[in-house]
Amino acid sequence: MPAHWTKETALKGRGHRSLGRRWRRVSTRSVTGRGPSRDSTGAVIGRWDPAAAARNPRKVSASCMGRRRRRVDRGAAVGALPEAIAALSRTLPAGPSPEIFRRAKFDRPEAAPALWQLLFRVLSPLSANGASAPAAQEAQVRVVKSELHSQGYPRRALAQLPEDGSQGSRELLLALAWLLARGPLLERLLAQTRVRLGDEIPLCECEALARPGPPVPRVEADGPVDIRHLQWLMGKLRFQWRKLITSQQEQCALLGKIHSYTRGCHSDRSLGHLSVAETELLRDAEGGQQLLRRLESENVRLEAALHWRRQELVFWRWMDTVLGTCPPEASQPTFVPRIPERGAGEWELVARELQALQEELRGAAEPRRAAWEARVGGWGPEWSAVQRASREAVGLELAALQRAWERGGAAAQPHGPCRLVKSDAGASGGPGLRAAQVIEVLRSREACLEAVLCQLQRQCRQELARLAGALPGLIWILPPGR
Amino acid sequence: MLPADCSRRLVAELRDALDACAERQRQLERSLRVSRRLLRTWEPAETPAPQPTPAPETSGEAPSPESTPSPQDLKELELLTQALEKAVRVRKGISKTGERHKALSLKSGSAATSATTASAPSRASGQASCQVSETKPPRGIQQTVVPARGLPECRLLSVGDRTRMGRGSRATKPGPGPRDQQIPPSAALQAPEAFTLKEKGILLRLPMAYRKAASRNSRLWAQLSSTQTSDSVDAAATAKTQFLQKMQMTSGGPGSGLSAAAVEAEVGLLRTACSLLRRRMEEVLSADPADCMQEYRCLLTLEGLQAITEQCLHRLQELRAAVVGQQLGPWPVGRCPGASLPCGGGTDPIWSPQLLLYSSTQELQTLEALRLRVAMLDQQIHLEKVLMAELLPLVGTQGPHWLALCRAVHSLLCEGGERFLTVLRDEPAD
Repeated sequence: MPAHWTKETALKGRGHRSLGRRWRRVSTRSVTGRGPSRDSTGAVIGRWDPAAAARNPRKVSASCMGRRRRRVDRGAAVGALPEAIAALSRTLPAGPSPEIFRRAKFDRPEAAPALWQLLFRVLSPLSANGASAPAAQEAQVRVVKSELHSQGYPRRALAQLPEDGSQGSRELLLALAWLLARGPLLERLLAQTRVRLGDEIPLCECEALARPGPPVPRVEADGPVDIRHLQWLMGKLRFQWRKLITSQQEQCALLGKIHSYTRGCHSDRSLGHLSVAETELLRDAEGGQQLLRRLESENVRLEAALHWRRQELVFWRWMDTVLGTCPPEASQPTFVPRIPERGAGEWELVARELQALQEELRGAAEPRRAAWEARVGGWGPEWSAVQRASREAVGLELAALQRAWERGGAAAQPHGPCRLVKSDAGASGGPGLRAAQVIEVLRSREACLEAVLCQLQRQCRQELARLAGALPGLIWILPPGR
Repeated sequence: MLPADCSRRLVAELRDALDACAERQRQLERSLRVSRRLLRTWEPAETPAPQPTPAPETSGEAPSPESTPSPQDLKELELLTQALEKAVRVRKGISKTGERHKALSLKSGSAATSATTASAPSRASGQASCQVSETKPPRGIQQTVVPARGLPECRLLSVGDRTRMGRGSRATKPGPGPRDQQIPPSAALQAPEAFTLKEKGILLRLPMAYRKAASRNSRLWAQLSSTQTSDSVDAAATAKTQFLQKMQMTSGGPGSGLSAAAVEAEVGLLRTACSLLRRRMEEVLSADPADCMQEYRCLLTLEGLQAITEQCLHRLQELRAAVVGQQLGPWPVGRCPGASLPCGGGTDPIWSPQLLLYSSTQELQTLEALRLRVAMLDQQIHLEKVLMAELLPLVGTQGPHWLALCRAVHSLLCEGGERFLTVLRDEPAD
């Protein structure tokens, strides 16, 4: 009988026996095929045996019912762990039963496939949704391994697990706990699959970037291409953007109409009118039923998440014990990956930019410093106080500048998706952003970006002029409109 | 021709950009389809059915057509069409004859308006006329009792038709037949079936089940997003950090704590840093210092910016060393490192959407156009940097077709591919 079970439950008087029964009761629903146990229900508590439980349902249920009635007095500790785990798996997509978790602690192989699948769904939710067929076991294992590694999972044992997904349930359990501990995993998963009831517009692109579309299978151009091919691609891109902008304008006009036509129909006064999804729900009864179902299942998951939050302490204490059962790791690194070009290219770009900037700053600052020193050489002590004040002021400004990117500048920009609501001008007191404000912010950002683009183009022009100037005997006529 | 590896990289970048654009277009098309369908006439099978709740709630709320017309209704509607067509014909005939019938009609009109009896000279279409008058007007919203005009009206008029009294909620005051001759019978017939958002959108009501589920949903999201500190929450947070520390310790080797994802995020931050520093530098350089003090401050600012830039470069080198030396593994595939993340993604994320109020369609269109323009500029800047990095070195080395290459590169890099320059050979005239 593992010691930690008694630690958890001994305080409550009934002891381990009740926990064994509790586990049995919870897990009767998920009976897996197993060989005949060597003992009947009452005696062996540490090993739960579904076959035996199935054989003696009356005895189990009777004892459970008795237990259940008395469980109320005992307090929460007894059933808390399976309950917490059940809440957790209700929140997760493809969450396995608490029994799988318990088996994973003892590194049982039958628990591994479910945990591989769970981790796959958690780490790459998009491919699970969009894929026509579920990925093969090896592919899932590979994706999970690489994703965990890129996020910095510290234990190397995971990388050594076989690709057929038959082993390693304890390691996977640790990986799941690690992901849960690091950040708001559940909230993020729920937000990704959130049912969208309103007409939403993303204010910043971070969501679009964090969720790239399914990778398009594309035949790469192997051979060298002519530069005209590049020009053609650029032209195509420009045209696509123009088309996109016109379609978007049309969509806005339609949205405006739908919002005005359904004024006053919404039960929520702050919204006032129906959204496209809600109107569609009224038009198409079947689609509406589906939406309702999805909404209700999301509600179930949200409630499970809140339940989990209240009870997760028990889970973390249990995970400490799981970690305790693992053997310590050897210190040999086994992962020898290659760095693909694209990542390195990104680094190159930034490095180049910073170096160019540094050159320019040096070129600007040094002559000024020299000129200044020459001027100020003999000035008196009252000057030094002023100098100090200036230094402090500039220091503060630069510190503020540094904070702007270190914190990501999130405070400055409106963030996240927004639900569009048409309301007559004058609602200045209520919650929510105003379109006029957002337009201002976007305009300033547009101006910024245009300035950057112009500056880059100017740089190119200078560079090309320099290169072309090496060849005499040619006249370069710039295009009109400059 | 460009060298193979350069071509591959550039084509890949451009195709990525095209794919991103195409994805947006696809989503937009989907939304457009849905919106257009909503604004058209809704099919009869799709008209919103009145709630199975007691009639008082739905009277005047639900749009008048029932979900499926019964066979009896259909038969009656047929008769209705016939009667209406006849009415139009007769009225045309009547109006031609002029005064004589007018006198007659006035007399019968007075009788008709007060009549509750359908004591019209019974005709074969008597039954139909009752139905005609009852079902007019089609909408059941606006009724005007127009004084009967012309002979046919008194036949058509039957106030408080007995057979139709039962349909309580649609107790419409029967008016005479088509009041204006402009309403063609066919349209009047179709009208009970058709539902358009424009005309009857304000009558829609959301089903109760949906309302409950939606309010519960928003309540739960609000609860989930609220970060309240209570004892249990704090204890859980400490337990989590302890667990992470133990994990780190039991894994082999100390590790630098840096993951590939973290490195990528930092590189992104440094890219933002670079652009912010550059912007500040340009501000300082373009400002004209008015006096000594300002000059001094400009100098200090420039030197400060220089120091920060060096720090950033240093950090970048450290990151590079971490990636290479500690074998942090491949950069995650599928994430496009292109555009900059001004929001530093993930800082205090908002889980459920907030409201964005707009007042007119023009405002919304401006907003969307600006948003797309910002995204397009982001992409253009990224492409510009990539193209610069790949193409400028090629121009530096003079190969065959150098002039053509130069001209093409100039147009791509300096004009966004929209305009071309002209190159003339300057031959001495001798």
